[in-house]
Amino acid sequence: MNPAIQTRELSFSYRDRAVLHQVSFSVESGEMLGMLGPNGSGKTTLLKILSAVLPSHGEVHLKGKRIESYGRRELSRLFAVVQQEPQINFPYTAAEIVLMGRASHHGTLALESQKDLEVARASLALTDSLALADRYLHELSGGEKQRVLIARALAQEPEILLLDEPSAFLDLKHQVQVFELLRRLNRERGLTVVAALHDLNLAALFFPRLMMLREGAIYSDGSPSEVLTEKTIEDVYGIRVRIESNFANGTPQLSICPSL
Amino acid sequence: MLLVNGVLLALLLLSMLACALFGPVRLDLSQALQNPFSANPDAEIFFRARLPRVLLGAAIGGGMAVCGVALQALLGNPLACPQMLGVSGGASLGGILGLIFFPHWLLPIAGGLLGEISWAPLAAFVGALISMVLVYRFSLFHGRLHPYHLLLSGVIFNSFIAALIMFLNSIVDFYQAQGLLFWLMGSLSTRAYLTVAFIWGYIVIGFLWLWAKGLSLNLITMGEEAALQLGVETAALQRQVFIASSLMIGAMVSVSGMIGFIGLMIPHVMRLIVGSDHRLLLPASFLAGGIFLCWADTLARIVLAPAELPVGIITAFFGGPFFLYMLYREGRRKFAL
Amino acid sequence: MSWRAKITTIWFLLLHLVALGASVPSVRAAAARGPKRIVSLAPSVTETIFALGFGERLVGVTTYCDYPAAAKQLPKIGTFTNPSLEAIVAKRPDLVIGVNSATDPTTAREIERLGLKIRLISQAAVGDILQSIVNIAKLLEASEAGTTLTRNIEAQIEQVKTRVAPAPRRPTLLAVGLRPLVAVGGKNYLDELIYLAGGENIAGGATQPWLNLPDEYIVAKAPQVIIEAGMGSDRGQSARHWRDLQSIPAVRERHVYAYPSDKILRPGPRIGEGLEEIARMIHPECFAQTARADKGTRCEGPRS
Repeated sequence: MNPAIQTRELSFSYRDRAVLHQVSFSVESGEMLGMLGPNGSGKTTLLKILSAVLPSHGEVHLKGKRIESYGRRELSRLFAVVQQEPQINFPYTAAEIVLMGRASHHGTLALESQKDLEVARASLALTDSLALADRYLHELSGGEKQRVLIARALAQEPEILLLDEPSAFLDLKHQVQVFELLRRLNRERGLTVVAALHDLNLAALFFPRLMMLREGAIYSDGSPSEVLTEKTIEDVYGIRVRIESNFANGTPQLSICPSL
Repeated sequence: MLLVNGVLLALLLLSMLACALFGPVRLDLSQALQNPFSANPDAEIFFRARLPRVLLGAAIGGGMAVCGVALQALLGNPLACPQMLGVSGGASLGGILGLIFFPHWLLPIAGGLLGEISWAPLAAFVGALISMVLVYRFSLFHGRLHPYHLLLSGVIFNSFIAALIMFLNSIVDFYQAQGLLFWLMGSLSTRAYLTVAFIWGYIVIGFLWLWAKGLSLNLITMGEEAALQLGVETAALQRQVFIASSLMIGAMVSVSGMIGFIGLMIPHVMRLIVGSDHRLLLPASFLAGGIFLCWADTLARIVLAPAELPVGIITAFFGGPFFLYMLYREGRRKFAL
Repeated sequence: MSWRAKITTIWFLLLHLVALGASVPSVRAAAARGPKRIVSLAPSVTETIFALGFGERLVGVTTYCDYPAAAKQLPKIGTFTNPSLEAIVAKRPDLVIGVNSATDPTTAREIERLGLKIRLISQAAVGDILQSIVNIAKLLEASEAGTTLTRNIEAQIEQVKTRVAPAPRRPTLLAVGLRPLVAVGGKNYLDELIYLAGGENIAGGATQPWLNLPDEYIVAKAPQVIIEAGMGSDRGQSARHWRDLQSIPAVRERHVYAYPSDKILRPGPRIGEGLEEIARMIHPECFAQTARADKGTRCEGPRS
């Protein structure tokens, strides 16, 4: 079985600034992978390359085929992306936004079908945003917007979900809710999830596999206890921490040792 | 969707009729209809002097509005308008140069069978094409058309053209200066049904093409990256929308000079009424734009009768304060004033 | 008379003529008064100065000054609407004459501030034009020449008035541009000229001196004469323009005329001539040479 995503020797530079060096890894279908690393480590760039927004030097394969061989609409049915900060300058309601996720499922000249409406509605329900359906996006809070965008991604009925710091603007309750939702989708529907994360503890709690990036290369790749070690944190982030086990399930949780 | 467009279509047809009936001179419609083909003043007023203007107004108003919608989507900015692309400036400059250098030349169409076209509109269209190519080249980065650069290039190009036009204005004689005003402020004064038919055909094709891209336009307003991920070939779409809009604007300005603010106001107003879904917004704006320009032209003929004001003054008169109001509202919204 | 006597007489006369001719410049040179270096800021002013006989005192004219032919040779100081301050000053004029309607008041003030003498004349009405000629003559210290010139023009005007007096007023359109159509409105000396020529300016009620006229207005006002002035004589373009408005009497009866001359478009000494020329277009039947024999229209009729 082909892995859902596979990259080989992936490199990328913005002008003369090299951002990714020879990144090679693969993600099996149905895996949940959390990407960690400080700002500038290349997480967002990697996600953009995986979602065919940026070209790359190296190879990216989705389901065994090179990413370049897919058409845009096909890609849109294969994976969905939840970005960090959308800039939408026009007044759309949440429902309209989620419906746009269905665009690659119906013809460009056709209107949305009943099925499209149902999928959209279900996606909103999944992200606890059904009540926001008729509200304008610019009226919503950062967290509510985020949930609507996740709903849009889900409406695409993708096999792979890519997320760029999905919990960035959410309050604690909704952060947990989003991660629980991702875990549920992963377990119940086999959705492959790849997310760039900044909260190490939440990442450790919810993601069975973590990949630590440092300066554009993979520093370590494995289970949370393998990746989240005091040495790794100090090497990559430059701060000292203490790793302890989470009382509920034994995943590593770190506490920061501030310099007094 | 049908309901709204049906209502708008009915309003447009009514407006066109009303505008053909109103004007600075009185019209005896019964006389006009009784002998439409004889040398009858009422018939001539209705069929030759007014009706072509009204038809042209509906087409150009609609065309400008639709280009406004498309460009706002393309540039991701609800404050964009056709004037910003630089194409209308180039067309005006071309027309003015045509006016100065070969005002009397005429080009026979189809060997003279279909009448002649004056060089000035042709020069204007050529000006539009050249501007389009130039602005396109300036906005191309790594082979992709970047909306931000497009906006910037267009605005700078326009300023440059405006300077050139002002320079020309200072060296032309009195008669040419009148012609110059036509290019800068627009006029729907026409009696040529051929021109009107041509423009209608052209604009309808452009409109239908853009309407077909309605869904893609929706998606591209989500942001370029999001649009890519939702299945839109953004680079191709941007290129195509830019070229289609430029061609439409070029043709419109060649025929009637620069009529501004329609592409800015109408999309915004229609968004408030029908929402931002381009599949509905485009036809609604097309019809609303036609209604607006017909009435603006009627006002242009009546306000300072017997003189005819350039119609661009009327649209600017409404558009200027409207634009300020929009900025005010945007500011309130963004900064919670 | 014997042939010798004849020859003597002829020689005598010739000698006197030569003496007279030779003495005239010296008479004038001895009596040369008034400004010697004049800059004109308008073609009408240039024409007036030449008509008064002081063309040789002009040291600077606009690029549009082309009448009489000698004016074309004169050094240029800029355009009618945009004279160059530097060029004017460089000519060291002792008199600069501009016109109220076109000379920028700021430029005029600048010229004054530089210590030069500048006068602006008004040309809003026919009376103003005549008065301006008198004023210019006064500035040149040649009032007599001015009076003579204005009397001649007044006589020309009177002649025309008399000629067309018996005929009914004809609604007339005087256009100075076809695309867009720019017509002469009210408060314009041209409007007056139309009236003097026995016409009725269809746009005369407007307050603007020049205006764009919509086609429907022209059709409604049904002018009997259309004069296209100052546009070159592309008759083809004109014919195409009016072709489908046959309800207009001027179009139907082929009374659309081209008048490419500047005589009436320059509010200067040639307006008398120009007036006669347009009167011939408006009332051809009142002028013997142009009365159309086939029409048999008599130069008379009820005054409307």
